[in-house]
Amino acid sequence: MRFWQKTLVLMLVLFVVVLDVSVIMIMNKSWRLNMGREQQRAASDQALIANNIYENLNSIKSRGMRINDTILLDVARSYGEYYRERGISLELSNQGTPIYAGPSEPSARYISVTNELPAPYGHLQLTYRRDIEALYAGQDELNRYFVYINCISIPVLAALMYVLIRKLTKPLQSLADSTKNIAEGNYGKRVQLKNRDEFGELARHFNRMADAVEKQVTDLSAMAEEKQRMVDNLAHELRTPLTSLQGFAQYLNAAHIDEEERITASGYLWSETLRLKNLVFKLLDLSVLSHQPVERNRIPVMELFESVRRMEQANLDAAGIELILEADIPAVWGDRELLESFLVNCLENSIHASTPGSEIRLAAYEQDAAAVLEVSDSGRGMSAGHLERVFEPFYRVDHARSREHGGAGLGLALCRQIAEAHQAQLSLSSEEQKGTTIKLILQLHNNGLLT
Amino acid sequence: MATILVVEDEKPISDLITMNLKLVGHRFFKAFDGEQMQQILEQEKIDLILLDVMLPVMDGFEWMRRRRHPGVPVIFITAKDSLADRITGFELGADDYIIKPFEILELLARINVVLRRSVKEEEGFLAGDVEVHLQARKIYKSGQLVELTAREFELLEVLIQNRNIALSREKLLELAWGYEFEGDTRTVDVHIRQLRKKLGWEERINTVYKLGYRLEAER
Repeated sequence: MRFWQKTLVLMLVLFVVVLDVSVIMIMNKSWRLNMGREQQRAASDQALIANNIYENLNSIKSRGMRINDTILLDVARSYGEYYRERGISLELSNQGTPIYAGPSEPSARYISVTNELPAPYGHLQLTYRRDIEALYAGQDELNRYFVYINCISIPVLAALMYVLIRKLTKPLQSLADSTKNIAEGNYGKRVQLKNRDEFGELARHFNRMADAVEKQVTDLSAMAEEKQRMVDNLAHELRTPLTSLQGFAQYLNAAHIDEEERITASGYLWSETLRLKNLVFKLLDLSVLSHQPVERNRIPVMELFESVRRMEQANLDAAGIELILEADIPAVWGDRELLESFLVNCLENSIHASTPGSEIRLAAYEQDAAAVLEVSDSGRGMSAGHLERVFEPFYRVDHARSREHGGAGLGLALCRQIAEAHQAQLSLSSEEQKGTTIKLILQLHNNGLLT
Repeated sequence: MATILVVEDEKPISDLITMNLKLVGHRFFKAFDGEQMQQILEQEKIDLILLDVMLPVMDGFEWMRRRRHPGVPVIFITAKDSLADRITGFELGADDYIIKPFEILELLARINVVLRRSVKEEEGFLAGDVEVHLQARKIYKSGQLVELTAREFELLEVLIQNRNIALSREKLLELAWGYEFEGDTRTVDVHIRQLRKKLGWEERINTVYKLGYRLEAER
């Protein structure tokens, strides 16, 4: 049963019961009052008539006549005749034996009063009867009218109440509709309800809840998508080296080949194994990073830069690139190994994008109350389309070149994780054929945000 | 045999395929992207293209859509093993579809299946004084016709198509007798003995220790 139906039925029943009980009580009271009045009237009428008869009998007596039954009958009849036209019938009886009885319709409802006549006629009883059919008829008329009014007013009341209740519960219906819609998974939908009452309040709260849910769902699905992409990419990345390993191993094992081919095949076995190893280790780094809190120490910038230079010296020499170090701040706070790994990854990307004879700059400076580590090159650069996705695992700007250098396509993904672990921001700007600049924006040790 | 164009941007995979093609006597060209592929197709007579789907610039599917070389069969090679991709590949008119990582023997077998459908004339296989015409099913030794049973011929065909690669007895059973054959590997030994005797190939069909047999041939 719907809420509006319940309300309607309950209100209607309550209303009708209260109203009808009141009306019935009023009618009952008025009936009792009427009857009381009739009783009094009957009593006083009877007393008056009894008195008249008594006077009459006295005057007959004073004329020296004996009062016998015939005289009594005459007297009673004369009164009876007189009163009959007024709808009153009289009876006179002597100690229970009737002397005179006026005509009466047996079925009719009447009011009757019986009393003795005053002394010395105490042996005579006068019964006074008046027809009160009209009173009953009036009451019946009232009862009929009451039923008739009920028949008309209850439907009218019901109709009015229906309209009113439907109007009042309309917001509930629209609330139910919208919430159902949201519950079915249309998390973008909102309840359109501008009421200023509890319904409006409920709608507002509900919308806030829907906002939260929608955000959660969107975040979750975005995360799930990225995870899925990562898994797909990983599967794809694994297939190529595995194909080579399997194929060349089989080739060495089963083919009839000479020394030169043996060297080529085993060389591939080796290089592809290294690539797989590289990939696996980078993946391990990634997964460790996302589960481990970083230690924060004060790291002298120059020391950091020099150790990065030492690690990459061979690559720099081979590519004929000069590395310039610029430290405007003495130290940064963070995890030494991770920051080194960050710089090395960025540096390697820069080396691969640069032409011999060009420069790469490692810089550290303060900007907007934060410490910035920056790697900038004047290399190949990349288009805006790549910028958005370049931090995704396995995303490569240039497939062939990345593979040439044995890259797993995880370098920048690792950089992003390192930045997240330091609660630092990453900024990447690049222009094709002009170069690329990547910044790691670390909070300074003195701005109190380090936890 | 046939001239095959291998379009694959991953150098190791490209080399792996071509080294194996060379073993079994196919000629080949390498292309690392669509542009090189186009050039080679214009200059050379190619019997079959092995096409990697994930190519730089324009992927293999895209190339197939704009293909200007009808009549050259294509086998896709890809790391994507989704059904949708496979269907796309076939809809675009690929003759076969092979997924990385693949078995070299499987790749060779599929190449042979596609070639058999398209290559009209086949050169004979020459080894010493033996001449084998696979399509005509005729074998001559010193100009004399050699009679082989159907099973021996099947086995010889498998050996020639996978020459210079050692094949296990199980593999030979599978390739020459078929999957449903409930055979014993000794069946293979018996037939190999017959072939060696009939063709005078005691040296040429080599027993490879722990592996099986290999037909040694000039490359």
